[in-house]
Amino acid sequence: MFDYIRETLDLMQANLTRTILTLIGLVVGVAAIISIQVAAAGMAAAVNGAFRGINMNTFFIFPKSTQGSTQRANLGLSDLELLDKSVPGVETSIPFGQTRTIVNARHQHVMLKFGGESYRRFSTAPVVAGHAIARVDVENASPVCVLSDKAYHRLFPHAADPDAVLGQSVYIGPKRYVVIGVLGPATLSTASLGIDINNDVAIPYTTFYNDYQRGRPLFGIQVLGNRKASLATLEANAKRVLSDAHGGSIYQTFDFAFFAKKIDGFFGVVGTIVSAVGAISLLVAGIGIMNILFVSVSERTREIGIRRAIGASRATILIQFFVEAFVLAFSGSLVGMLAGLGIGDLAQQIFIARISGTIAALPWLQSILLATLFATVVTLVFGTLPALRAASVDPIEALRYE
Amino acid sequence: MNDIAIDLQEIVKTYKTGTIEVHALRGVNLRIQRGEYIAIMGPSGSGKSTLMNVIGCLDRPTSGNYRLDGIDLSTLDDRALAKIRLEKLGFIFQGFNLLPRTDAMKNVSLPLFYAKVSPKERRERARAALAEVGLADRGHHKPSELSGGQQQRVAIARALINNPAVLLADEPTGNLDSATSEEILTLFESLHRSGRTIVVVTHDEEVAERANRVVRLRDGLILSDLPTSRGHFSEGSIVQREAIPQL
Repeated sequence: MFDYIRETLDLMQANLTRTILTLIGLVVGVAAIISIQVAAAGMAAAVNGAFRGINMNTFFIFPKSTQGSTQRANLGLSDLELLDKSVPGVETSIPFGQTRTIVNARHQHVMLKFGGESYRRFSTAPVVAGHAIARVDVENASPVCVLSDKAYHRLFPHAADPDAVLGQSVYIGPKRYVVIGVLGPATLSTASLGIDINNDVAIPYTTFYNDYQRGRPLFGIQVLGNRKASLATLEANAKRVLSDAHGGSIYQTFDFAFFAKKIDGFFGVVGTIVSAVGAISLLVAGIGIMNILFVSVSERTREIGIRRAIGASRATILIQFFVEAFVLAFSGSLVGMLAGLGIGDLAQQIFIARISGTIAALPWLQSILLATLFATVVTLVFGTLPALRAASVDPIEALRYE
Repeated sequence: MNDIAIDLQEIVKTYKTGTIEVHALRGVNLRIQRGEYIAIMGPSGSGKSTLMNVIGCLDRPTSGNYRLDGIDLSTLDDRALAKIRLEKLGFIFQGFNLLPRTDAMKNVSLPLFYAKVSPKERRERARAALAEVGLADRGHHKPSELSGGQQQRVAIARALINNPAVLLADEPTGNLDSATSEEILTLFESLHRSGRTIVVVTHDEEVAERANRVVRLRDGLILSDLPTSRGHFSEGSIVQREAIPQL
């Protein structure tokens, strides 16, 4: 076996130009398929990373806007309690309220996202100064706020450090809120995907309700589930419980799994297209390899005759040519694999790392398996005919052949 | 041990080219004893190449019986015939037929590769075989770096390496000048003295004269089967006399 491999490598070297031209197709095909795998894996990691910025067990529930009686479907504070009690797996539910508004600090007036939150945290950004909204703040509807990294920098550009702004006030219209905590940057966030539901200035949801929503129906409810319950089950149960309480009204839910799926779907399509192109170039490559093997068989008819006369059976010759086909195909696949990993990595560095700051590890093992698989398939599909022709060479004819 | 190396009985070989039938061999009877040095002669078209191919198990007779070293070959398939060629026969060709790009050692050890001998043993035996033909120092030369005579000696070493029952040479000196031919024929003689069975197919009287027995073919039949001046009849000669009435 080793002798066959050595022999093939010698032959490839002797016909270097021809070998390279033959293998280009294979290299391109394998490189295309592997690079898209790497890029897709990188993108998937980036997307996952982005959603790590928020608690993925969150969903939102709203009354459907088109239904018989929108009046009857209106949500109120009592529904929060209902969800907490009646839907197993719900950690907490708070009125959803977020708005873009001008926030004033001593000298700064900045348009920021402002909303109510619970003491159970929705954002996963770390607290770098003070503390997050506490249970007591929610219970007392205290006039306090927590600033995001962005809000801290925009509202207090001259602050020495986050601790320095604790106890300072920010104003929304005439209302004053005392800063009790500052969050650090979320290394990854949904903002990189163009959707950001984290607040820049968060106040206790009870405060938000008292100050802005009192007497009006809730726009929606934000529910935080625990990790044991599946989001789909939670959503279905929440819809049912609310529907029962509101005389059969219809509710809609929204979560980020939907986005994740959309994005995955997009990369699935791109991956399929690139893989199809790769598959076509693999087909062309296979035909090229078949051609070079046929040429090799007719060029080496005499050699085959010698081997047969010396004692090689048809089966032995068949194996020899299969080995040659495999060595050719495998070397092409291997080069293609390295190129694919290189291109995929480059794509990650240029496009993905900039957004997410992460780079997925290169899938070496899968790539090697994939390259071996391609080489095997190409060998079996395109090596069989030339190998059969080689095995059927008549030694008498071959030895007469000059 | 069988004393008869080759036993051909009523060998007929007919080729069909289109609708025309060519009777290459029309019933050849030939017995070759172990240790004989025999030349097969004949003009072109006499069937000597076909006979050579049949003896070399490269071709099957249309009818007739062939026993090589006691083994009946008529029932064997391709794989088994390949094994016979590997173990019982050593081929020496006019055009040397060494693998190009492959050095002498590799060429000589090729049959051992097919016989699944370990690489280490292959090397050792190839070295010994090369030494036997006087090319101990040429192991790493490729065929293109060797003279014609040296190439033929490499081919002989290759033919010998599996210790075959029969050495089969097809015009072994056809591509060589007279001095080199002499070298090769001397080598054959020394191989004969050491007990090898040698069958040489040739149209060169001088080459045939070096053998101990000459079989002449014409039109697919044995025309004569006689000892040369060097030859001497052994016990097997009675069998050969029985074959003579063919004339």
